[in-house]
Amino acid sequence: MLIVGWVWGLLFAPQDAIQGNSYRIIFLHVPAVIYAELIYFFMALCALMHLVWRVKLAAYLIKSAAPIGAMITFVGLFSGSVWGIPTWGTWWQWDARITSTLILFIMYLGILTLHGSFSNLEKSDRLMSILVVIGVVNIPIIKKSVDWWSTLHQPASISVSGGSSIDPSMLYPLLISIIGLGFTLISLGILSSRSYILGREKNKKWVSEYV
Amino acid sequence: MLIMILVLTAFPLSIDISQFDLEKFYFSIIVVSLLMTSFLATEGMFEEDFEDGSLEQEFLVEQDFYKIVLSKIFVYVCFIGVPIALIGAIFSFANGVAIGSFMNVFFILSLSNLLLFNVFAFGNALSINKGAMLGVLTTLPLALPVIILLGTAIRSIQYEDGFLEISSLMIGLGFLISAIMPLIISTALKTHID
Repeated sequence: MLIVGWVWGLLFAPQDAIQGNSYRIIFLHVPAVIYAELIYFFMALCALMHLVWRVKLAAYLIKSAAPIGAMITFVGLFSGSVWGIPTWGTWWQWDARITSTLILFIMYLGILTLHGSFSNLEKSDRLMSILVVIGVVNIPIIKKSVDWWSTLHQPASISVSGGSSIDPSMLYPLLISIIGLGFTLISLGILSSRSYILGREKNKKWVSEYV
Repeated sequence: MLIMILVLTAFPLSIDISQFDLEKFYFSIIVVSLLMTSFLATEGMFEEDFEDGSLEQEFLVEQDFYKIVLSKIFVYVCFIGVPIALIGAIFSFANGVAIGSFMNVFFILSLSNLLLFNVFAFGNALSINKGAMLGVLTTLPLALPVIILLGTAIRSIQYEDGFLEISSLMIGLGFLISAIMPLIISTALKTHID
């Protein structure tokens, strides 16, 4: 599905009247930044589950999702920079949206570093969950940064409630790319959590029976 | 405090700019030095207590860290936060802020310090004896909302517009965070002791 979206977007969607072909990075950039925030939100829900109900699996899911979140945030930042060169004339701007996304990337790194800092993994799980829950305060800031500040970054072009300002010939491949990347990330998440759970529970009987 | 003075004094000396230009962005330097000084001041807030067993002892007696965390933050704010805020206000006064705004600047910087100390105490509780780098990585993103609020408050002072609204918001947040954050910090500390 992701390939269909990208091929459609990169080869068959029409050129943009102002940006020409450079806008085509939208098919990577927009899905990446959407999932950068969604993955954090998912992690926050898992962290809450871990802290309230002591669900071990929830902590494993956070640990598995965090590297994927960091990677996709980096992709979002990098693709944004690449797009910035032809459109803004600069690859980086200390703009509210870009800076807050960089902060999200640092948060992912912080979560991973915190978890890796302690030899007692149960302790790491709890501390990581606390940090993830507190860090969720930044998500609305990142989301609303383009509305709250006058930024170089344009406001959201598509919204769940308010429709879209993008022409359907570009919107459809973009939506397919978003859904496709979602499925790709879910697959990556399943693979990553599978190997992490097996690693964490390696001394358990069910693992030796399963492997 | 010395670091704060050093940064605020060294900055105008290190670049050759006019007083007019300096006045335009000197507040940014105050915000950055406030952030840095607050972080450095709280860097070892719980580390020594953790290393020498005081925290463990407290946990055995009280079964809770809420009071000790609350009082520690309060002491830090009173003896480090408020003087830092005063230095910031004095330097802003010396760099073009109207005399009438002096108290407003001092008040906002003190409130920001209260929020920052809570955030950095949380980072210190998470990373306890694992070094400052981990503390920076984990808590700097959480300081972002405080910096945004502080920036908005400073703009409201500079343009004399909306100061009451933003300061009320900050007071409310100050109370809320001062009540909730020690609870979260004590949970983190308990995790270390367990």
